[in-house]
This record gives sequence, structure tokens and C-alpha cells, in this order.
Amino acid sequence: MTELSIVNVTKRFDETDVLKGVSLDIADGEFVSLVGPSGCGKSTLLRIIAGLEAQTSGDIRIAGQSVVDRRAADRNLSMVFQSYALYPHLSVADNIAVPLKMRRLSRLQRLPLAARLLPSGRAASRKIEYDVHQAAKMLEIEHLLNRKPGQLSGGQRQRVALGRALVREPAAFLLDEPLSNLDAKLRVQTRAEIAQLHRRLRATFVYVTHDQVEAMTMSDRIAVMMGGRILQCATPETIYEDPDHIDVAEFICAHKINILPVEIADDGQLHLLDRRLELSVVGAGRGVGSLGLRPEALRLAGENAPIRGHVVHRENLGAELFVQVEVAALKERVTLRANPEQRRALQLGSPVGLEFDPAKALLFDPHGKRLRQLRPTFAAKPEVA
Amino acid sequence: MTRDWWKHLILILGMIVVIAPFYLMVSYSFKSPGEIERGEGGFFGRQELMVDERCVSLRAPDRKDIAAASQRFPGQTENAIRTALIAEAKSACSMRPVVFNYTKAFSEAPLLRYLLNGIAVTVSIFLIQAVVALPAAYALAKLKFWGREAVFGLVLFCLLIPVHAIALPLYIILAKLGLTNTYAALVVPWTISVFGIFLMRQFFMTVPDDLIDAARMDGMGEFAIVWRVMLPTAIPALLAFAIFSIVAHWNDYFWPRIVVTGNRDLFTPPLGLREFKGDGDGSYFGPMMATATVIVTPLIVAFLLAQKRFIEGITLSGMK
Ligand SMILES: Nc1ncnc2c1ncn2[C@@H]1O[C@H](COP(=O)(O)OP(=O)(O)OP(=O)(O)O)[C@@H](O)[C@H]1O
Ligand SMILES: [Mg+2]
Repeated sequence: MTELSIVNVTKRFDETDVLKGVSLDIADGEFVSLVGPSGCGKSTLLRIIAGLEAQTSGDIRIAGQSVVDRRAADRNLSMVFQSYALYPHLSVADNIAVPLKMRRLSRLQRLPLAARLLPSGRAASRKIEYDVHQAAKMLEIEHLLNRKPGQLSGGQRQRVALGRALVREPAAFLLDEPLSNLDAKLRVQTRAEIAQLHRRLRATFVYVTHDQVEAMTMSDRIAVMMGGRILQCATPETIYEDPDHIDVAEFICAHKINILPVEIADDGQLHLLDRRLELSVVGAGRGVGSLGLRPEALRLAGENAPIRGHVVHRENLGAELFVQVEVAALKERVTLRANPEQRRALQLGSPVGLEFDPAKALLFDPHGKRLRQLRPTFAAKPEVA
Repeated sequence: MTRDWWKHLILILGMIVVIAPFYLMVSYSFKSPGEIERGEGGFFGRQELMVDERCVSLRAPDRKDIAAASQRFPGQTENAIRTALIAEAKSACSMRPVVFNYTKAFSEAPLLRYLLNGIAVTVSIFLIQAVVALPAAYALAKLKFWGREAVFGLVLFCLLIPVHAIALPLYIILAKLGLTNTYAALVVPWTISVFGIFLMRQFFMTVPDDLIDAARMDGMGEFAIVWRVMLPTAIPALLAFAIFSIVAHWNDYFWPRIVVTGNRDLFTPPLGLREFKGDGDGSYFGPMMATATVIVTPLIVAFLLAQKRFIEGITLSGMK
């Protein structure tokens, strides 16, 4: 069992607190993504797990045992770096063999030629060679084994780096933005391959990325980090549909989420753009909250709709149509996802009314915390459903 | 092309200034003493047979020789036998100037031994310098420890100290330890090269941190990282340093002259040149220049063999 626990880890560089108390439990065989904007401390957290950086306080446990006083080499973790970090002077085969050689061969056996001269060394190196070939086969880089890293393309280097990580069986894999140097097409392909690899190996993966699409498509759970804290850690569906915090909702989105200011009255009744909504919230004080509406939560409605404006921009993606609507009282445009069939009604400049599905509305308090206790209230006079 | 003629002129003049001493050295090593003195004979000299007067005077026949030779010259007077013997000695002692100069170079002093000494000393100096400088440079470039900046400051400071300023104290220390006139005296003072540490540290700064972290994840200790990761990636820089180190110590006359006083077995090649200084009978420029030629040849051959990599190393160290 190789579950991984991060217990209240903090990290301070000079005067800045980079991690402010991060806790996370990762189950055996789970694929957890750490996502967050640049500079939020993802790499730092990963390096602390790996043992490459010392935490200021807190504990790291692997399979229930604290590893804080173990060197990186003794934690039995594999890491893939953003820059791949292949040994430039070694062939691909030798690169992949390094972690095995350092672990399986004695100091004596590692000397040049010793592998060939000592009988024990010969057996061990034959086993290593076999394992390297197996790993290369899995990643389809067998034909590259004799090349140097300098003679490989970015995607091939990335595979070699993966091969070097998975050739031994570590307690967990740590990947720090391994796809960020690849072009878009290769990234999509490799994304699927890594997910497949995870299913095949059933190993624990911690995957750092700032690309939320990667996180959504690959992970069992996503941990959204911001400003040195984990704001929420949950399945991709939960993170998307039921975010705990406005920052999470804004960060995890295929298309930018619409954030509209709502007034919360004393009794919890919500008002949007001076109109009473058929929604109220329980247990929140009076104030101005934010209503998060994903483009797909909005739909076209008639004259009486709560949000009215006119079309200023259209993006036709073929299967779907994104329309930006300028609303007089709002600084930001509202984005709507529409069917391409509705193109007619959505000519540039044409006035539109928008309504939303209350079940998909996300309400946040003034500090950005999610308010979940929404209740429907019935309008005094029936307006639009 | 024509507009740039002055650049070429400057380069050609510079080349002449640099090449001239070498030209003279090699040329003198071919010529007879007379030709050297009179400055004639072109580059190779005329290579006329010359007589080595010293050799002849060593072979000058005495009474016993004449008696022993009387059978070969039956019925001749002693005087006639003597002149015949002298003529024989002269023909035996006459040779081409090149042969004379180079045989003298190797016979007058044990030049071969000096060359081997030179190789042993320069190679051990360089190897120990590398063994010291690589881990030190790695620590200064990539490890975080208390006082690192201060240590690096000391390295920079030591770069400013001229060798000659500390020669005397060094000599006294070695003398107190009883190490003068040993190989150790030739090698030990040079084993810590601050220049080497500085150069390698500057190079290691350019090695990405991720590579070192990857090595740590792969199970390498810090020393394994130095030898298995840093050293192979630093080969060009190390070669650049090797040139500086080996050329400097192969050609060094000053330090061996100080610490090797009596024992000729420890002489390095430059000390071999001293064997010819101020010889009483006439100038020995020819053999001396032959010795000098022999001394610089290994460096030049090594340079030609490794020219490409050397130039790589130099330009690289110049960039960083
Ligand atoms: N060695 C260091 N010394 C000082 N500050 C550091 C150090 N390493 C990281 N930081 C700071 O810590 C913060 C978090 O860095 P980190 O590399 O973890 O960000 P990240 O989330 O991985 O960002 P990115 O997505 O750009 O990789 C940054 O503000 C960075 O400047
Ligand atoms: Mg990072």
C-alpha cells in the first residue's frame, strides 16, 4: 500500500510564505492533479514530497510512515521534470537504466567494465537491460534506445523521461508539468497515454499542471491550489459543478464563467440587476455576493428575462456557438453557449434576453466562499420560469 | 577583400612576432655552431659534415694507443701513426649538424628522463586539481550551505595572489617538512587550483538544477552526481582548464628551479635547458635549441591531435 499523506506542510522562502499549511491524502493507485495559477506553489509542494526541498513545518507520510528525514533517493519516488532533465551524455537506454543501476548494482559493480567482468554484475546488468527494453516497449521508443537525448524531438524526450521514471516500481510517480513543452496535438495524445499508463500500472500519481483541461481529463481527483493553499480537492465533476470557492469556479472552466453581482437581502432574497430573483439563500448575511453562471447554464429567453443586452461578439466553434452579450449595467460581457441553430436570433447587435437554470447557479459570498443553501422563492406575480 | 588588407597585414605581423622565436629555435636546432654564429645557411643550414672538437680531443691518442695501433700501420713512425689516428678520430667524430645537435641534446643530459618527469608531474598536478576542483566547484555552484558566498569570495581573492609572492613561504614550509627535492615538492603546491575551481563553478552554474534533482531522484549521492553527471557534461570546460594547467606546469621553470636543487633525477624538461648554459668552449646553441624543440614538441603534438576539442573548450570558457 502506498498511500501518500501531506500533513499541514508549510514552506517559507526567505520572507515569503509559499505554502501556508497544505494537507492532502492520496489513496493508493489514485491519480491526483495539483492545479493552480503560476507561482501558487505547486512545484514547491511536489519537490517537498520528493524530498528535493525541505518543508518549514509539517509532515510527509508514505504508506503511513513519515519520510521527512529521508533523502530523495531513499523515498522511492519517481519524478518527471518539466524540462525532462535527461542526462545529455548518455544514450536513451543508459538514461533509462540509471535508476536501476544506482539501486540494483553495488558500488563495485557500477565501475566501468565491472558489469562485464564480474559474474554477479553480468546477471544483474542483463536483468537491467531486459527491464529497460520492457519500459521502452511500453512507451514505443525501442527504436530510439541508442540515440542521445540531443537527437530526439520534444515528444520523444518526454517519453524517455517517462521511461526513466517508470522503469523501476516506485511508491508513487510525481510529474511536474510534463506536457507543457509539447505542441497542442502531441499534448492531447500524450495526455491520453499517461492516463492509460496510470490505469495499467495502478500506481499512485501526483500530477502538477496549470492546464485545467489536463487535470479534468486525467485525474481521479483534482486539488486546486491558490496562494499556497489547497482550496478544494475533489473529483473533476464535483470541482466543476460544485466548487467551494469562486476562485475554483473561475479557474476550472472550459469557457470563462460569468460572475454577476447579486444583492442578498436580510431575508436571503437575491436580487440581480435590481430584479428580484426566484431564489433566496439561507444563512447568509446581507451584502453583495457573486452569482457564477457557466455559459452552458444560460439560455435564451424572451423580453422579460432577468438579464438583457445585445450581442457584441460571436465565436462559432461548429458544434457550439459562444456569444458575448453586453449588458448595460455590467462591466463585463456575459458569455452564452448556444446551439448553432440559434444563429439567426444571435446576429451581431441584436437584443437578447437571458435566463438561467437555478440548479446550475453558483452563489458565492463577498469573500468568495460558496453559499450552498439556495431555495426557490416564488415571485409575487409570475414572470418567466 | 582589398579593403580589409590592413587587417590581414596586422594579423600577418602578429603572426610573425609569435612565430619568429619558434622559427629561430627550430632553425638553430638544425645548424652547426659556425652557421649559427655567422647567421647563415637559411632554415636548415647547409648540413655539411662538421667535426665535434670535444669528441676529437677526448679521443686524442696517447702513447699506449699508438703502441697498440702500430700493428695496423707497419713500418711507420710514431708521428705518422699519431696523425693517422687523429684523422680516424676526426672522421669518427664528424657528423651532420642536425644529428650532432639532437644526439647532444639527449646525451649531454638525460632528456628522456626529464621528459618522463615532466609528464608525471604535469599529469599528476592536473588529475589532483580536477579531483579537488570538481567537487568544490559543484558545492559552490549548486549546494546551499552557510558561508557559501564567503568561501566563493575567498576563491576570488586567491585568484589575485601571484605565485611568486608566496613562493618563499611555500618553500620554507616544504623545507621544514623535508620535502624539497622530491616529486611531492613539484606537485603538492599546485594541487588546489582556485582558477580551476572558479572556472568549473562558472560552468556548473549553467547546468540546469532539474538535472541534478533528477539524479538525486535516480538514487545518486552528491559525489556520484559530481562524477557521473557534472563531470561528463563539463568535459569541454575541463579540457579548457587542462590546457591552462598542463601548459603552465610543463613549461614552468621557476618553481622546479626553486625546489629541485641537487637531484638531477627530478629535473623537469625546462630545467634540462640549464645543462647547456654558459658552457666554456664555444656556444652550445644548437643542442640547446634541439632540447627546447624536444620539450615543446609534446605540447604541440597534443594540441594538434585534440585541436578541435581544445578550441571548443576555449571559446566556451570565453563565453561564460
Ligand atoms: N528557491 C526559491 N527561493 C525563493 N523563492 C522561491 C524558490 N522556489 C520557488 N520560489 C517562489 O515560490 C513560489 C511558488 O513557486 P513554484 O515553483 O512552486 O510555483 P508553481 O506553482 O510551480 O508555478 P508554475 O506553474 O509557474 O510552475 C513562487 O512565488 C516562487 O517565486
Ligand atoms: Mg512549477
